[in-house]
Amino acid sequence: MRIVNPSFGLREEAGNLTGPAVCAVADWSRDPIAIVSNSKPNARELLEGVRAQMGAFRPTDNIDYLFKDSAAQPAPAELIDEIARKYKGAILALAD
Amino acid sequence: MIEDMDSETIEVGDLDPAQWNEYANDRGWSDGFPLAVPTQEAVDRFLQTCRKDNAPFAPMSPRLLVPTMPAIAANAVMAGCRAEYFPVVVAAVRAVLDPAYNLHGTLATTHPCAQLLIVSGPLRGQLDINCTGNCFGQGRRANATIGRALQLTLLNIGGARPGEMDRATQGSPAKYAFCFGENEEESPWEPYHVRRGFDAGDSVVTAFASEPPHNINDHASTSGEGILQTIAGTISQTGANVLGGHGPYVVVIGPEHAHTIHRDGWTIPDIQEKLFEDSAVHISRVPPEKRKNYAVDRSAKVVNDKFYLTCSPEGIHILVAGGPGKHSAYIPTFGSTEACSVRISNV
Repeated sequence: MRIVNPSFGLREEAGNLTGPAVCAVADWSRDPIAIVSNSKPNARELLEGVRAQMGAFRPTDNIDYLFKDSAAQPAPAELIDEIARKYKGAILALAD
Repeated sequence: MIEDMDSETIEVGDLDPAQWNEYANDRGWSDGFPLAVPTQEAVDRFLQTCRKDNAPFAPMSPRLLVPTMPAIAANAVMAGCRAEYFPVVVAAVRAVLDPAYNLHGTLATTHPCAQLLIVSGPLRGQLDINCTGNCFGQGRRANATIGRALQLTLLNIGGARPGEMDRATQGSPAKYAFCFGENEEESPWEPYHVRRGFDAGDSVVTAFASEPPHNINDHASTSGEGILQTIAGTISQTGANVLGGHGPYVVVIGPEHAHTIHRDGWTIPDIQEKLFEDSAVHISRVPPEKRKNYAVDRSAKVVNDKFYLTCSPEGIHILVAGGPGKHSAYIPTFGSTEACSVRISNV
């Protein structure tokens, strides 16, 4: 018996990619980093707690809190661009 | 395994129905119910109903693979559809792929939203889509299998597997299938799809990322005002995802309620305006921690000390469905989503 694969799909062409992305490695002991809230309840409290604990081994005045407007929507491109431009690393609140 | 441009076939051996279902279940293709076998012959019959539909599909979240007609048809076959339902399934797929629908968010969320499909227009009768008694419930093949076909497509092509990319805390029974038709014949108002800009002769599917229906019982009120007060009271809940103006939501008015409301002179814009105001939740009913979260992180606007459930009265979608009896229904949505309508094109 031969069946049509119900999970089949096509990969979209990545037309503009010219090679592997080059990632700078962050120095978590001193580089500017972003703590980014997914805007779920208490995400800010969680991330502020992480920042406070990081104060034990690094300066915290270059750890900035950022957030997207809605937990249900993707982060806007401008926010992603800002994070990429200004910071060497980011910590995301991934769960509820 | 044989691949061509837009499909792949797999030799599965000589399986009886029980063995086939074990095979499909082992591959994660099942919603838990038995599946029909997506043979090439069955899929080809379905494809004949959409021969002229060559519009491309967008990538489908969360796997971001681009769906193909044969793969969608395979899911519709497995769901138990008749071939003539397939154009509705294809229109439904196009509706949820509209960027305004926010498919990724609706599939990956912890909220229990399912994909609600509302069918309007002449095809409802031709396909025997239930618009009357028990229209949200069991018993009609078209309702059950069209809704199921979309869910299987999102599972198998989209990759929205429960516990993996589908992160629903509890989910809902609507995630098996949630499809019904508008009861245009007993509606005193213009058909829903016509109010959305389509021709009366068009058949249209509208998709919402929605919760299951919440019943609204009012056997006592004999005025439109009274029935609408009961409807607004049922909608006004502190736990809704739409709290804070993130609508839309759907109100499905039963024919008897609709008759009374219309008799008393209420137009659709009148009803929308009344429900917009009267279903808003006063801040005193919202716990302080939740109020603070909405105010800080969700950009919700409190106006006159109330949280509004939609951005505007137009975010309240009203139509008639159901049979005899004094019941209506409130169908909340995920919130960060839009109603997306697609004209059904066949052959």
